[in-house]
Amino acid sequence: MTTPAPTRRTTNQILIDLLMLNVGKISAVIEQQGHSIFGQANLLSKEEINDYSLEFLELVVMLLQSGNQLDRRSAEFSALRKFFTTFSQQIQARGSNLDEFVRYIQFLQRVFLDNLEADATVDFAQSREILLLLGSIFNDIILDVFHVYLEEKERTIQAQQEELRQTSTPITEIWDGVLTLPIIGTLDSTRTMMVMENLLSRIEAERARVVVIDVTGVMAIDSQVSHHLIQMIRAVGLMGADAVLTGIRPEIARSLTSLNIDLGEVTTRATLSEGLKEAFRRLRVEVRQGNG
Amino acid sequence: MIPGIHLTPIGDDSVLLEPGEGLDPTDPDAYLVPLLGYLQKQRARFLIYDLKTVALIDHVYYAWMTAMNSLCLISGITMVVANIRPHAAYALSQLIAGNPPFPCALNVDSARQAIQRLAAPAPYPDTRS
Repeated sequence: MTTPAPTRRTTNQILIDLLMLNVGKISAVIEQQGHSIFGQANLLSKEEINDYSLEFLELVVMLLQSGNQLDRRSAEFSALRKFFTTFSQQIQARGSNLDEFVRYIQFLQRVFLDNLEADATVDFAQSREILLLLGSIFNDIILDVFHVYLEEKERTIQAQQEELRQTSTPITEIWDGVLTLPIIGTLDSTRTMMVMENLLSRIEAERARVVVIDVTGVMAIDSQVSHHLIQMIRAVGLMGADAVLTGIRPEIARSLTSLNIDLGEVTTRATLSEGLKEAFRRLRVEVRQGNG
Repeated sequence: MIPGIHLTPIGDDSVLLEPGEGLDPTDPDAYLVPLLGYLQKQRARFLIYDLKTVALIDHVYYAWMTAMNSLCLISGITMVVANIRPHAAYALSQLIAGNPPFPCALNVDSARQAIQRLAAPAPYPDTRS
């Protein structure tokens, strides 16, 4: 009677066996590393680290059990990626950086490889396949995490830009029918569109008759910016209000003349206070100094 | 009655023009002659064009408005445009190279005030030395 030849285990089966036999050891190592990276910086509590470690191992086993070939569209792989996405979002919200998290993911990969060394039944070809499989899984995860970080950074930058835009163009009604718009920084097409939208809506809402646009805070002006300014003044005129441009500094005035930009149709005044006087004049408002 | 245009005499030699859905700005000839006939019959000196219901002013609409303004100027009538919506003002400011040939007012009341100022007799010149 001959004994049947032992069947060659698949890559997935080797990893599943490895996890089943060493689950206690592997989870302990993962938790320890988790504490070292996230615990010391108070990013995660001990319970959270333990929960994440166990969930990770469960998801890996489910993925390995789902089939011999790695299917990137499978529910199990999506679940594993979703787990890391949520995990990274959570620790990012708590102030972690990308380096720490990527180091942690690389460590998780290394834990499998370290434990494989102890298994003498795994030959070179199988080791190579396992390495490729793990590399494929963890590279996708690292890419996901990278995207999460990028999206979060982009959201932060956009929110900051929006806040900056809102605060850098405060439109104020300083008198009945008089709006002031101090412009700080530069005027690009996007900002012009936003400022104009706000300004024209305010003209309509406040029934403004004069708008004083102060460019004291504009550091440099080019043909594009001046074109936007002229467009803005024209739109104000179309709404039936008068625009007064103030605060053109000498170097800006010099640039405008060098660029052959004609502000002949635009009412300009040297300072914001002069602009206000002009607005009052147009509204036939007289400001007098009191006797007291 | 001119189809697509609602005309109302509002006093002070002024007529209010409110464009309706049926107005076709691509065919100004269909409107200009009857419109001028109406204005002359009313002895109007001012025409207030109310753009409250016009969401967008494009090349065609602007050409129609300037044609009407030219006709008014020839006939001694001042056309004042009122109630340009913010979005229409923004779009039009990008479309035109200079200021429009007609005065603009925030609303019909402002247009009437502007008309009263325009209609007021010029102050007698002070010739004292």
